Amino acid sequence: MMQSRFEPGAGKLDDFAWIYALYELGQTAATGVDPLKAQQDILDHIVSGLDAESGSLALVVEGREDLLEIAAGTDLPSGTVGSRLPRGLGVFGHVVATGQPLLINGGVAETGFPVPLHERRDRSTHSAMCWPLRVRERIIGALAVNRAAGRPRYTIADLDRGHVLTSLLALVMANHRMHVERENRILELSTLNAAMQRMNALLEDAQNQVIQSEKLASIGQIAAGVAHEINNPVAFVLSNLGTLESYLSSLFELLDAYLEAEHTAAPLARARALREDTDVDFLRSDGVALLGESREGLLRVKRIVEDLKDFSRGGAEETWESVDLHASLESTLNIVRNEIKYKTRIETRYADLPYVECLPSRINQVFLNLLVNAGQSIEANGVITISSGVDGGEVWIRFEDTGCGIPPEHLHRIFEPFFTTKPVGQGTGLGLSVSYSIVRKHGGRIDVESEVGRGTRFTVRLPVRQMQA
Amino acid sequence: MANLLIVDDEPSVLNALRRMCLNRMAAPALPDPVVTTFTSPLKAIDYVRDHPIDLVISDYRMPEMDGASFLTQVKEVQPDSARMILSACTDMQGIVRAINDAGIFRFVSKPWSDADLKVSILQVLAHRDLLLENRRLANELRLKRGVISRQQLELERLEAESPGITRVRWTEDGGVLLED
Repeated sequence: MMQSRFEPGAGKLDDFAWIYALYELGQTAATGVDPLKAQQDILDHIVSGLDAESGSLALVVEGREDLLEIAAGTDLPSGTVGSRLPRGLGVFGHVVATGQPLLINGGVAETGFPVPLHERRDRSTHSAMCWPLRVRERIIGALAVNRAAGRPRYTIADLDRGHVLTSLLALVMANHRMHVERENRILELSTLNAAMQRMNALLEDAQNQVIQSEKLASIGQIAAGVAHEINNPVAFVLSNLGTLESYLSSLFELLDAYLEAEHTAAPLARARALREDTDVDFLRSDGVALLGESREGLLRVKRIVEDLKDFSRGGAEETWESVDLHASLESTLNIVRNEIKYKTRIETRYADLPYVECLPSRINQVFLNLLVNAGQSIEANGVITISSGVDGGEVWIRFEDTGCGIPPEHLHRIFEPFFTTKPVGQGTGLGLSVSYSIVRKHGGRIDVESEVGRGTRFTVRLPVRQMQA
Repeated sequence: MANLLIVDDEPSVLNALRRMCLNRMAAPALPDPVVTTFTSPLKAIDYVRDHPIDLVISDYRMPEMDGASFLTQVKEVQPDSARMILSACTDMQGIVRAINDAGIFRFVSKPWSDADLKVSILQVLAHRDLLLENRRLANELRLKRGVISRQQLELERLEAESPGITRVRWTEDGGVLLED
């Protein structure tokens, strides 16, 4: 790289190809992956451009304005790169501290302040130049080049021309630092983002748990009714089976008597007497009725257990399905009805609804909450009216009760978590809040109107199709 | 003969209980039971006003009124009837009211065991017979000792036969007020 010489000044500074190469090196340095190598490349390029034998680059240590670090060098003793020196000491120290370039020929500084050179060098420097690297008003380091003995010495003109060059270098360095900073910032942001995603997942988990335990709590509230509704059929089926057993044994007794008469040719008297005693017609008709009622009772138990299963399903793994909301309402009503039928009449006015894309057990949970609330608001002889309809791309389900109503001062708080006016143990205060978030998750909303003493009307609106699906 | 009145809002429960009571093929058999059933407590009360009942068995949770309120009204109309609750309900307050206000003799939970329930019915009927017998004998003794009049004894007999007959309320103009 040092074939051509421009005597007596500095080599290729006017060579366009050389300047363009420097520019390219600067670009690489600004976005490069290996800053040390980029710095070294730039330094090598400058050393060659100034027709010097060696050069070195020192940068102010970030965060430590009083320290310089040797960032790159040519022909430097090994271990020098990365070593540190205090600001103000030596040639680099002096240049960084004063901000003035320095031209040294022999042992004498020809420009700047005629400072004595304290540092001992392991080889004598014939001619050297050193410039501060300045970005805006801040000095970020210094660059030095040396020419060996026997070569022409640098002149003040060389120092001035090099000065222009070094400000370009300083800019490249600053760009590089900014690039690194930006990379760090991006890394920081993506770490932060990952942390937030973890937090979000945790939150979603927690919310799912709240929804799940709220569901258990509301099932707990209707458990007495469900147990009652299961126990009733179980009771009469059990009793019927006991009765049927005695019916059968008396019929078999009669049959045995006839069989005995047939096989032993014994007189039919005993069988006839037994026949007199047994009301076979009654046993026949009542036996059939008994079996029919028992079957109906067991079907009822089966249905309740199935409806309960609709609720126990769920958690995070639940999938979106297209669902007949009226069927959901009926299965929810089957569970709730037992709790409220003793004081409430339920009327339904359903329109033709399309299948709605939803999380079925979550929507059942919303219906359950609204129905339990409606039931609890009614003291006696109330009516709950459930109606439905289609409105553009959404459907609505309305629950109207003739209960006690919600005072205006409570109306805007009912969707708050833990807000409840029910006695301790009767409500978690989460029912409506969870219902609200479930409906929001479906992209729908819940509206409420209420009048104290007259009743309350909740309207659930759900889009027929989900955006994300 | 035993007059039984059974009230439950569930017709299938009433049918099962009727079968159980009338079934003489499974021990223990009830002594000549006459079983009347209602799904409506209100209609049952109407019936109780002019039909003497030995034992009333009622469900607890019913749409019109609960079993405790129903049996309390039965007790007012026919204090000598024995009363039982047969229910799947475990509502403590309800049970307390049934015992304290309605004066029930037994609380049997659903699902019941036919044999146990029939034993309970027999025990309650026997207990009631004892109470009534005791009172009848005591009244005879009182009559002999001149503590109560023959007329009063006759009144008690009439009341047992037709509940409410001795407590006719008169209006100012001499009309008879019928309980509705």
